[in-house]
Amino acid sequence: MEVWNLLLQGFATAGTPVNLLWAFVGCALGTAVGVLPGIGPATAVAMLLPITSQVEATASMIFFAGIYYGAMYGGSTTSILLNTPGETATMVTAMEGNKMAKSGRAGAALATSAIGSLFAPMLAEFAVRLGPPEYFMLMVLAFTTVSAVLGQSTVRGLTALFIGLAMGLVGMDQITGQVRYTAGVPELLDGVEIVLVAVGLFAVAEAMHAVLFEGKVVETENRMSRVTMTLRDWKRSVPAWLRGTAIGAPFGCIPAGGTEIPTFLSYAVEKKLAKGDDLAEFGNAGAIEGVAGPEAANNATVTAAMIPLLTLGIPVSNTTAILLGAFQNYGIQPGPQLFTTSSALVWALIASLYIGNVMLLVLNLPMIGLWVKLLKVPKPQLYAGILIFATVGAYGMRQSAFDLYLLYAIGLLGLVMRRFNFPTAPVLVGMILGPLAEAQMRNAISIGEGSALIFVQRPISLGLLVLVVLILVLPRLLKARTPTLH
Amino acid sequence: MRPRGHASHSPVLQSLVGAGVALLGLALAAGAFTIPSNAGYAGVGPNFLPWVVALALLTCGVRLFFKARRGGFRNMEEHTGEHPFWGGFAWLSAGLLLNAALITTIGFILSCTLCFVLAARGLRLAQDPLAKGWAPTVRDAGVGVLIAAPVFWAFTKFLGISLPGLTQTGWL
Repeated sequence: MEVWNLLLQGFATAGTPVNLLWAFVGCALGTAVGVLPGIGPATAVAMLLPITSQVEATASMIFFAGIYYGAMYGGSTTSILLNTPGETATMVTAMEGNKMAKSGRAGAALATSAIGSLFAPMLAEFAVRLGPPEYFMLMVLAFTTVSAVLGQSTVRGLTALFIGLAMGLVGMDQITGQVRYTAGVPELLDGVEIVLVAVGLFAVAEAMHAVLFEGKVVETENRMSRVTMTLRDWKRSVPAWLRGTAIGAPFGCIPAGGTEIPTFLSYAVEKKLAKGDDLAEFGNAGAIEGVAGPEAANNATVTAAMIPLLTLGIPVSNTTAILLGAFQNYGIQPGPQLFTTSSALVWALIASLYIGNVMLLVLNLPMIGLWVKLLKVPKPQLYAGILIFATVGAYGMRQSAFDLYLLYAIGLLGLVMRRFNFPTAPVLVGMILGPLAEAQMRNAISIGEGSALIFVQRPISLGLLVLVVLILVLPRLLKARTPTLH
Repeated sequence: MRPRGHASHSPVLQSLVGAGVALLGLALAAGAFTIPSNAGYAGVGPNFLPWVVALALLTCGVRLFFKARRGGFRNMEEHTGEHPFWGGFAWLSAGLLLNAALITTIGFILSCTLCFVLAARGLRLAQDPLAKGWAPTVRDAGVGVLIAAPVFWAFTKFLGISLPGLTQTGWL
């Protein structure tokens, strides 16, 4: 089978000592940033984006993918060990003994990689036949789900999306070269760097938030108790892992984004299926399948989120948006053609998903004690240190001190957004995808000879349009029908 | 009911946020006027999306403003911390802005160390506003150099990214 040969070649590329080393460093670094508060995978990848100017494409993509997956594992470690204020303590402490249940993540990710490597080329083959109108509608679908569905408020989500789109407008227009919104600042001709926005919104805003509001916050730490699973735990976890993977993987494949829905669904399913004593443990002592299922669903979604990125070029989360930025730095445009033009890179990246997840399993279970120590880094030094790395990321991209002032301004924006509960993912997705969507829209209308009717004349495009409208309208209709409690 | 007292739940501040978004929309609209439309075959030119974004932000801003007036934003998360600590914020801001101002003159290592020291001082004061002693700050300076210098060397020597130095030696 052709796919097997390609995958084997991918393993050969990803398995060279240098690339293995990049994968390892990525996984370790990713776990570390996942464990540490204040930096997530998106920030970590963003701060390291300048390396794209020096390091070869395959190596750096393997490195970034390692950070992406590593951070997911690291983050779950923190959530077990720290009682973050505001979260109900019972929920977190209940997970304490269930650390092993989280190892289902690795299984879910590996299974999803396997499904993905068979599925992705098929999707790419299908996607080749899509034209600008369909692409534009797919991007609109991504915008809608990222901003209107995933957050707590549609208006705030849309505001964030349009702020991102506005940032994407700065600089030269892709099609006509028209300069927009540069206010005469030469640095802005190339547009606003994605690194700046990501690092500003996350790292700098996080430090500002910490100094303004979190000085007095005391975190309580949970103790790790048992780390082995009994036979009964295994019996309860394995089916939950399988169900979680089955729920999570399809959600990652569609350009809709978000892990909230699949994790929530998986939790609901597990609760529904539980009986007797097991059911009593839900929300009480902590039911192991209630951890294992959602964890598997979460990881399957995250792993599968690479598929729309690679096959369609559509990112649906912060980190995949930044990965798309990394591809663009190499002059590579992810999309269906990627499987023919950069086949070696794609398959090496897919192979590295397998390698990376095995590495993470090895890194995480025995070394958890080491990661826990990272939590002991005092906050002042931690955040101040993050600012040094933020400087590297922001300055290293274009060697301009102007960018550091802009970084501060975006930090302020991020602070306000964080304080008033505006989601940040739509900003990045809007900023990265905005210019692409604009180009597709204008190309589509050119194909339609100046008529926007092209979007409703083609069946797939029309179907997507209907879907977008449904997503926006349906929840409101449902809400209007159910009587309010007040 | 939502608890009172958190700054982010203040209707005045929320209205300001809404007004700010609306103003941004207006500013973008003003900018959109200056962009020529030369649409060509596309039917829509480079000024189309700016108009869409401007009007959308204006609409969102107005909606946010009225939501703030009528009982505040909905579904707000509970926030940690009650009152903002502006003193610490000033130290942190000084660190970031001085870094931007000085990085090309005094070099990456010194500039980042300064940023580290000032930011760490702000964060430490946030934890304990009475800890005004300078001893931890001196230690921070050491820690700052220990972070900034290896980062500088790693990025310039191994990854070939150019960062500004104080001297031409490439080591400082």
